[in-house]
Amino acid sequence: MSEPKAIPASVPSPEAEGLAPPPDHWQLFFGMMQVALSAFGGGLSAWSQRIIVEEKRWMNNTSFLTGLTVARLFPGPNQINMAVYIGARFQGLSGAMAALAGMLLVPFILLMLVGLAYFSFRSLPLVDRLLAGVVTAAAGLALSMGFKILHQYQRDPVALLLALATFLAMAVFHIRLIPVVVVAGPLAMAWYWPRGAAGPGVDR
Amino acid sequence: MMAALLLVSDCTPKSLGDLANLLAVIRDFLSLSLFSLGGGNTLLSEYHYLSVSEYCWISSNQFADLYALAEAAPGPSSMLVGLLGMGAAWREGPGWALASAVVAEIAILLPSTLLMVIAALSWNRFRDSPWRIAFERGLGPITLGILFAVGLKILHTADHGVPAYLVSIVVCVLTLRTRISPLWFMAIAGVLGGFGVINR
Repeated sequence: MSEPKAIPASVPSPEAEGLAPPPDHWQLFFGMMQVALSAFGGGLSAWSQRIIVEEKRWMNNTSFLTGLTVARLFPGPNQINMAVYIGARFQGLSGAMAALAGMLLVPFILLMLVGLAYFSFRSLPLVDRLLAGVVTAAAGLALSMGFKILHQYQRDPVALLLALATFLAMAVFHIRLIPVVVVAGPLAMAWYWPRGAAGPGVDR
Repeated sequence: MMAALLLVSDCTPKSLGDLANLLAVIRDFLSLSLFSLGGGNTLLSEYHYLSVSEYCWISSNQFADLYALAEAAPGPSSMLVGLLGMGAAWREGPGWALASAVVAEIAILLPSTLLMVIAALSWNRFRDSPWRIAFERGLGPITLGILFAVGLKILHTADHGVPAYLVSIVVCVLTLRTRISPLWFMAIAGVLGGFGVINR
């Protein structure tokens, strides 16, 4: 662990594990583009695992899952963070940028075409009527986001209380996101600070 | 609600041609980037506040449209920011709209990306740190509360009338209980809108 390098020292030599040599910038770019294209029907992280771990053998499954954990923990869209993680691990900052560009290029161009079409044709009555319907389904998806992770906290009354306070602050008192997180975040972190780590028996 | 409605009718769009406005927008998105917890969806109500109430680029209905389009389009979340950037400069012409879309997307992604690079390179050093554990456990419930607030906000933005709310609730339940692709829900709801069952 002494040398702070892009490739973690904990990983044995690539050949020993049957891994491919570390990808260069172009390989990262096109590899991530392949992930983005494969995932057009959805399931981006499953595709990412299949292509990065099984097909290209850039990293083993354990490293991949560690990457997913880090990607979910840190701010930013999970799939984008995952691409950044992979790129950074092999080629540092510039590798991260190459992976990010590969992941975003095609979806962003498509999105721009969608946007141009929308702003050009949105005033047509039929388009407006269709969208009036589509947005209600999208709102249903938005509503499901909280319920999707609610079960993780069912046995933790403090967590539910924190969630309720956060919800009320935003939905009822209309406090903006940044003040809410800046106040509630440290309080929650203090409550969940791992006290056990300092106690006897836990030695790390 | 009333206050929000009054604000919308009052407000005049701020032109991005004015450098001060452009810099303010970039600053807003850059600073939001590090608050995109839970995969980025926690920022949705801030996006609504900035683009509809604060800068008046688009109407609330248009925001709902763009959210739905970003959800339907393939690719990672956060693409909504590109569409908002496009809406911000649409008056100035499609060229400016595209440039604005790219700038907005870069601004929202850059800080979180740089942080992620640092995290990827130094993870082994702080994976067992109490800061990491407290951050992960503590921010989870906060994210949960924010997601509920954001979901409600999108619901009020998108839905006008009983049929609209019914469709949203049915879609929410089906999303949680089944593995049907969201695109089906949007297609069917779109048809209902086309036939005038859902209005706004």
